[in-house]
Amino acid sequence: MSDYANPEVLVSTDWVAQHLKEPGLRLIEVDVDTTAYDAGHIPGAAGLNWERDLNDPTQRDIVSQERFQTLFRNAGIQESDTLIFYGDNNNWFAAFAFWITKIYGHQEIRLMNGGRKKWMDEDRELTTELPAHTPSQYSVTATHLELRALLPEILEIASNKSKPLVDVRSPDEFTGKVIAPPNLPETAQRGGHIPGAKNVPWAKAVAEDGTFKSADELRALYIEGLGLDPNQPTVAYCRIGERSSHTWFVLKYLLGFKDVKNYDGSWTEYGNLVQATIERNSS
Amino acid sequence: MKEKQSEKEQHQQRVYDSIFGLLPSIDNPTPLVRVRKLAPNPQVHLYAKLEWYNPFGSVKDRAAWNMLQDLEARGELSAERGIVEPTSGNTGISLAGMAGARGYNVRCVIPNRVPEEKKTLLRVVGAELDVVRDDICPAPGLGDGSINIAKTHAKASAHKYVMPNQYENRLNLEAHIRTTGPEIWRQTKGQVTHVFVALGTCGTVSGLGTYFREKNSNVKLYAVQPSEGHDIPGLRNVSQLDVSALYDESLIEEVLEIDYEVAYQRAAELNRQEGLMASPCCGLIFEGACRILLDVQDAVAVMIFPDSVLKYASIMEKHLWPQIRETEQ
Repeated sequence: MSDYANPEVLVSTDWVAQHLKEPGLRLIEVDVDTTAYDAGHIPGAAGLNWERDLNDPTQRDIVSQERFQTLFRNAGIQESDTLIFYGDNNNWFAAFAFWITKIYGHQEIRLMNGGRKKWMDEDRELTTELPAHTPSQYSVTATHLELRALLPEILEIASNKSKPLVDVRSPDEFTGKVIAPPNLPETAQRGGHIPGAKNVPWAKAVAEDGTFKSADELRALYIEGLGLDPNQPTVAYCRIGERSSHTWFVLKYLLGFKDVKNYDGSWTEYGNLVQATIERNSS
Repeated sequence: MKEKQSEKEQHQQRVYDSIFGLLPSIDNPTPLVRVRKLAPNPQVHLYAKLEWYNPFGSVKDRAAWNMLQDLEARGELSAERGIVEPTSGNTGISLAGMAGARGYNVRCVIPNRVPEEKKTLLRVVGAELDVVRDDICPAPGLGDGSINIAKTHAKASAHKYVMPNQYENRLNLEAHIRTTGPEIWRQTKGQVTHVFVALGTCGTVSGLGTYFREKNSNVKLYAVQPSEGHDIPGLRNVSQLDVSALYDESLIEEVLEIDYEVAYQRAAELNRQEGLMASPCCGLIFEGACRILLDVQDAVAVMIFPDSVLKYASIMEKHLWPQIRETEQ
């Protein structure tokens, strides 16, 4: 069995339980359900609200560099800290936060494998106590916008099929049978997918306990099964960019793809475009 | 009125010391009412067991009372420490109604797609509500959702909450072995041949299955459930059953999957032609019973009708008269 390309980006729940009080290590919970953190979280973990903290309040965009910096300063995070993100729904928004934090240049970031559910299934400690940290002077010194795909690039890919597009939504969303998963808002006017996209639902990358599948299984899924090439630029998308952050993480860090972007505009943007052609065939 | 009445006298006179005296038992069963005009076959005696006659309005009174009594007996509840429970409505309403009368707080975690009537009722009976994005029936093991939020409260705020956990608690199932099963047996004079139930927590089906396997293993138990993608609150589709701790396939004759749109039509027919205030879930069970009983001779069949239509007005409107909604919007 081969290893992940970058195994250091994952930590286990066991490892977190043993190290959670170590200086220089910060746990951050980010959930789809924004009430979950307040109900209870891992002792010492800070909570980020994806709607309020990770998106721009006045335009459809990720949080600005300035607001991101303020957010991290208020949470008392230092540039040298190792950040461990975890959350619900198999780390959907934890992966989204990981992606944004990478864009804003933080060096040491991990995901807790299995997320919040695995921690709970193992009956580990939870608290409602909020961590107290002195605000820091956190400063964003480098940005990595190459991790993000914007609409002009997507339109070019849709016309020229110049790079593989991975649609990580459910097959029913991909074929346009539904516009959104049953319990989430329909944020596009119509259902379907971007021309040329291939469908691999994000959940295929996780095992039953919520942890990531082995490197061999992931390789069989994305490289042998879908025909993706780790040396070729690749773009992932979903409905609003959180599930595709999960697949982006798998491709970039677990399989070592050299150039992977997350298209966070995703189907919410593309599915509403005037005069844009869509497809509804199954993959 | 000052003398202490026996339980039998209370039931005869319908005068009770408290609301808890009204809870169902073999001496105070919920009614069995025969379906007449809509019966699928004249050779069959088809009865609906009207669980909305329970004091808090649904079959869930049985499990809720069993679990609440257990928590009290174990000293888990106090004025400072109440209950947290994931619910699609009925269990929460039962627990909150009972707990309020006993002096405990209740916090319910409920999926966002549950009808507004149920959420409002929960607030009316005093439950604090967490509304979360989840399937319409909380499903253990499938994700984070209502069940794990409730578990989080119970773990992180153990000084404030204890979680009965109807999805895994054997006392849910045991309530039906102790009450629903014996009631049906006595009410049908031991002649029951078929029983029809819906699947949610699977407490009713497994409790009745356990009871009848012991009492008379010839009684056939059918589980009815909606097709995938349904919006009937509290019910579970077959694809989710392997994560239901209380589900035991060996107790069931057959699982019937019914197109959920049919459930709304059948519920309306029961309301209009039988005078039964049947909820969509009752409509679903009735459709399942009709399919099985069409060609059966001399059967005595009982359908467990879990609750009435009153909590589902908005969802009935959505399915039966979608044009009204579109016009009004």
